Amino acid sequence: MEAKEPKKFIVPIGPQHPALKEPGHFEFSVDGEIVTGASIRLGYVHRGIEKGTEQRNWIQNIYLLERVCGICSHVHAMAYTLGVEKLAGVTAPPRAQAIRELVAELERIHSHMLWLGVAAHEGGFDTLFMYSWRDREVVMDLLESLTGNRVHYSTNVLGGVKIDVTPELADTIRKGCDFLEERLQHYLRVVTTDETFLARTRGVGPMTLEQAELLGAVGPTARASGVTRDIRIDAPYASYAEFPVTVVTDNGGDLTARFVVRIKELFESCRVIRQILDNMPESELVAKVPRRIPAGETISRVEAPRGELFYYIKSGGGDRPERVKSRTPSLCNWSTISTVAVGHKLADMPMLLAGIDPCFSCNDRMIQIRRKGHEDQLWTWEQLRRYGIEYYR
Amino acid sequence: MSLSLHPLIVLLFFPGGLFLLGSGMFYEWIDRKLVARYQNRLGPRWFQPLADVVKLLAKEEIIPQGVHPGLFIILPVIALASALTAALYTPLLGLQPYYSFQGDLIVTLYLLSVMTLSLGLAGANSINRFSLVGATRTITQLFSYEAPFMLALLGPAIAAGTWRIAGINEFAGQSLWMILTQPIGFIVALIGLMGKLELPPFDAPEAETEIVAGALTEYSGRGFALFRIGKNVELVVGLTLVSAFYLGGLMNPLEFVLKTLGLLLVMAGLQSLFARLRIDQTVGLWWRMGTLVALLQLLAIVIGRALPGLF
Amino acid sequence: MTIGSMIGDIVESLFKKPVTQQYPFERKEAPERFRGRVHYEPGGCTGCQLCVKDCPAYALELITIDKAAKRFVMRYHMDRCVYCGQCVISCRFSSLRMAHDEWELAATSRSPFVIDYGLPEDLATLHGTEAEPEPDACRNV
Repeated sequence: MEAKEPKKFIVPIGPQHPALKEPGHFEFSVDGEIVTGASIRLGYVHRGIEKGTEQRNWIQNIYLLERVCGICSHVHAMAYTLGVEKLAGVTAPPRAQAIRELVAELERIHSHMLWLGVAAHEGGFDTLFMYSWRDREVVMDLLESLTGNRVHYSTNVLGGVKIDVTPELADTIRKGCDFLEERLQHYLRVVTTDETFLARTRGVGPMTLEQAELLGAVGPTARASGVTRDIRIDAPYASYAEFPVTVVTDNGGDLTARFVVRIKELFESCRVIRQILDNMPESELVAKVPRRIPAGETISRVEAPRGELFYYIKSGGGDRPERVKSRTPSLCNWSTISTVAVGHKLADMPMLLAGIDPCFSCNDRMIQIRRKGHEDQLWTWEQLRRYGIEYYR
Repeated sequence: MSLSLHPLIVLLFFPGGLFLLGSGMFYEWIDRKLVARYQNRLGPRWFQPLADVVKLLAKEEIIPQGVHPGLFIILPVIALASALTAALYTPLLGLQPYYSFQGDLIVTLYLLSVMTLSLGLAGANSINRFSLVGATRTITQLFSYEAPFMLALLGPAIAAGTWRIAGINEFAGQSLWMILTQPIGFIVALIGLMGKLELPPFDAPEAETEIVAGALTEYSGRGFALFRIGKNVELVVGLTLVSAFYLGGLMNPLEFVLKTLGLLLVMAGLQSLFARLRIDQTVGLWWRMGTLVALLQLLAIVIGRALPGLF
Repeated sequence: MTIGSMIGDIVESLFKKPVTQQYPFERKEAPERFRGRVHYEPGGCTGCQLCVKDCPAYALELITIDKAAKRFVMRYHMDRCVYCGQCVISCRFSSLRMAHDEWELAATSRSPFVIDYGLPEDLATLHGTEAEPEPDACRNV
């Protein structure tokens, strides 16, 4: 983010680059093939969603916030609805909570399998990419037949969920999980034993436990370094208290460990999904939530596939929130890249970038950058608005 | 088998020129299709390579800032020309090569390297950072696979006692398939060919997730099309050489098609089986493993040929 | 430690049909719960406007023809719709539903995306009194 001294050979990756599926800008200064410095610049897909929530009512915001991320859409809506329910003093019925957990775990399977493919593609292993995405279609189809859409499941409503799980659907999901588990066993074997793939992942980007704690890594990225932190266990939400998961960690800290942790998490997800389907509580699906939420503020934390997702919600007592703030897991993990990248080969960079499973558009919200010798740039809403009008005149 | 044709026809239509371009595209399609099928995909239709070339040729050629325009334009031509020339010395379609002299094996191998060299120069000519990194990697890779690949092709030459490709082809046709007598040489030659063509897993010089298109990042339109055709021709020539030397010679068109396609089947499988090697791993692999193994093989052949004379 | 551990998969695939579906020629049936185009039945509608208020994409407009007789026309802007299904949940009189088999909704102009639902005589009244709806009239809040 700082101006670099001249005479360095800088390889820019992004904002438009085949390795990136979303815009972000990375500058790697290289000495031959060795990376000597890395800098990250984000903000190309800032969409003003947080401000947008203040213009919409509590119900409309579910669907707006669902669109913060296209891959973990359900957890965003879930974090928001859980927060709003907390403000309103309503608890969703147990069956609704179980269905929320069910969809969240199915979503984790689809997200991690997507990541498996992307990471393999960044390492030039297109066959693994094609196969893992082929098998991911199974879980996408499950989600589609369960919720009605492949991407934006729109399962949550304030006070519960829209959809129910019928016995036939439960059977389909069980069968899908059997298939996925078998395939994932195979992929786990591939990523841990294939010599050529291990040559690209073993020892690449090692992050120690101390570094992970210091840099504030979250989610599977941190768990691959031995951090035992998982919101599903530390602060159970939805029905994670009734249907608990066990935390999966690895001490490697390198890319191999991240592969192992993510795939093993999926076995855990499959196990929990079966447990939920077998012991589905009987109850209503929706509890009544008033249209005006009592004044107050709250936080809501859930474990997204990429790590801890945090929501802050403030209500002024009206039918619209006064402030909604979300902090997505990708934002926490960026700093690990610029630290770990130095000393690695340029060829490792795409895999390192993919290693944290970054989601660019999720994390593009307002960031204040404090530079030495610069004044803080803080604009009021009015100034910002005027700037926008001037800019587009 | 041999035909006598007017030299101009030989150069422009058959087996040079048009025939080579057509077969190059055909083999590219087969390769893409096979890789797709290995990955459980459908793959392109048969005219896709042709459509790509037509599209590229129709496009505007942009000469970017900072390049030497003359070099920028001439390098793709040199690349294609050298690949086409190399084909004249090889038993394409199982026919006798049209030009043949003692030592044409070495000339052919050099002509094939000229292609890679112009690729590297094309990258170095540009000021694009991806091109520069790509050029460095291309040349680095050239230095790493060239020696073992050459050694692997010299094995059959020494066994045959001639450095004429036609002679080796004939010898291979009469004796036991050399894939059996020199298995190591065959593996080195096959993998060397993949390195030469920058196919996965040796595609570090054009690794799209790192350096976009490597040395060719700034090429578009005609230049890019010529480089692509050149590479396709090189694929055909390489397949012909390896199957002529190691798979019992190419004596008629049927044998040619069967053997080269069989080789391509294996090569496409290898392409889809591995993760991309880093450039340092490629170099390490070739110099630590490939060269040594190929040298040992060569030594074994030399001793094997010398032994009967000693006793 | 193995080399080429996916060899089983690739050899198997060589003899298997590719999984690729060539979409316009091969179609996959959408699941029963699929959220497609919204349909409106004027029968039970009381004009409470909850669907309009809760629509996150401002895709619904309820035009009152006769308030006392509870006669309404629903103007549905399909191009703005995000197919979230909230309107169906919000409606207490089951006047709205989503069709699971209507999902190929592309068109080359915007006019087919403005759809009026209602009783034939109400539609006639609406179109008689009002000119053609402006296709890109955008409602800002």
